[in-house]
Amino acid sequence: MKKVFVFVGNFGSGKTELALNTAFRAAQKGRTELIDLDMVNTYFRLSERKELIESKGIRLISPNYVCTNVETLSLPAEVSSAFDQDWDTVVFDVGGDPVGATALGRFHDDFMKLPEGSLQVLLVVNVRRPLSSTPERIMKLIDETVRNARLNITGLINNTNLAGETGADELQDGYTVLREVSDRTGIPVVCTSGLRLPLEAFMETSPEARYVGETLAIDTFLHRDWNSFIHHGL
Amino acid sequence: MAKILMKGNEAIAEAAIRAGCRFFFGYPITPQTEVPEYMAARMPEIGGCFLQAESEVAAINMVYGAAGTGVRVMTSSSSPGVSLKQEGISYIAGAELPCVIINVMRGGPGLGGIQASQGDYFQSTRGGGHGDYRCIVYAPASVQEVVDLMGVAFDAADQYRCPAMIVADGIIGQMMEPVELPEPYEYKVDTEKKPWAATGWKPGDKKERAVINSLYIEVDELHELNTRLQARYREIEKNEVRYEVYGDEDAELVVCAYGTVARICKAAIDELRDKGLKVKLIRPITLWPFPVDCVKAAAEAPEVKAVLTVELNAGQMLEDVKLAVNGAKPVEFLGNPGSKMPTVEEICEKLLAMSKGEE
Repeated sequence: MKKVFVFVGNFGSGKTELALNTAFRAAQKGRTELIDLDMVNTYFRLSERKELIESKGIRLISPNYVCTNVETLSLPAEVSSAFDQDWDTVVFDVGGDPVGATALGRFHDDFMKLPEGSLQVLLVVNVRRPLSSTPERIMKLIDETVRNARLNITGLINNTNLAGETGADELQDGYTVLREVSDRTGIPVVCTSGLRLPLEAFMETSPEARYVGETLAIDTFLHRDWNSFIHHGL
Repeated sequence: MAKILMKGNEAIAEAAIRAGCRFFFGYPITPQTEVPEYMAARMPEIGGCFLQAESEVAAINMVYGAAGTGVRVMTSSSSPGVSLKQEGISYIAGAELPCVIINVMRGGPGLGGIQASQGDYFQSTRGGGHGDYRCIVYAPASVQEVVDLMGVAFDAADQYRCPAMIVADGIIGQMMEPVELPEPYEYKVDTEKKPWAATGWKPGDKKERAVINSLYIEVDELHELNTRLQARYREIEKNEVRYEVYGDEDAELVVCAYGTVARICKAAIDELRDKGLKVKLIRPITLWPFPVDCVKAAAEAPEVKAVLTVELNAGQMLEDVKLAVNGAKPVEFLGNPGSKMPTVEEICEKLLAMSKGEE
């Protein structure tokens, strides 16, 4: 059965890095399509890594005019290939905040036709970001995202980080906040992700498995921190 | 307070709120739009006022009005939008009012582009508007420094009754870095300290009216205003200069750069040290007042061969550096107009050539 992953969440939650990591893993096992559905942000986006993505045999769909500094992006017709063609895995990287999730609403009928168990809509959470720092703010984010995306959130991902300064404390705080969100909303925490070292350090604190989900050690591909930016460019 | 991960534009907005700003008037323009976006979300939470004006001209005049009541008020824009605000900024300076203006600079001239630039050095430090006025101009080099300078800018604007500008290039606006925010500060207008503020007359108040005005028809009155302003600007030049020095004290070359360009220069200096070339960076944090004495003393040091100015423009601060060096040593320039950022390699290459005495 085709697996469809939709990553939503605030700006700076880590959706794009997670989408890349998920797609790269999937591409080792089967036919994979990656869809850059970010209609909001001009900078720091998936399509900047087009060559890398395509070198792994992944089909990349980007908005029209992406990475040209033109700010009036539009959705290409090829997004429909996610639903019409026979992929093993399709990954959607959606724009930040509930505003970014609006782009999903357009594909409501297509998502509804997917077989049961095929679709996962995952809210990526970084509690070190100001607008998703508390359970209340995250639940407000969930409500607004669901309304705009016309899709229910099926799982939460704890991807709490401070970019290059991330330690186990970040994931620990994310764990505490998401445990409360999960208890109050009934949405499971399906994954805890981060760079390998902080993730291992966090797991040594013996967190309760059902609020951790799968652990996913990720690599980062976007040069967002200053050192990688000045040495490698965007 | 634990560090959080913030985009520069969000940090600008949150830091302003924490410095007591409760009034924000602005208009969207890339690459600063997250400032009004964040203000739109946060101001209602804290009983402040966010208003998206119909234009940049309207926004700066709303700032003018709010500033007249003594409150902490801010606007933000990017280069073409800041050009539109210049008339209002001149009026605010003429009416001796405090406010903070953010410019997240992008490439020009005209509509230019949406990538980072430092093309508004002249506009900010010379006063893009008319008349003999100055703004205190701060140039942060990191998201944390944006946060740290916000309270400084509001305090200085209040102290000297003048507009303070924070000019950040588009990179600072767009990039995310971990930051530590200060505790929130609740600003209350104190009419003892701001007797000029038009706060509304109430029974029992003094009879004198607070009039906000920048029109002085009589020559002598206008002269008096200008004399008062110039005296204040000399005080600012004496008290408010800020800069950072980085690198080796006994350097043979001096680099002047500000904002993110200065951070790139730091990486170049570190690389050159490994190759045996000692270079010192002077990073102006205030573009006006410019750190004249520091640059002059550095250039006059006997071991210094030459000075290099690096900017993301065609050479604007270069003029201030030349004025400060005053012929003591050769001053060279590296940079690009528009948005093509100088690289670590280009800066290293230029400094190595200068060290060998090559043009």
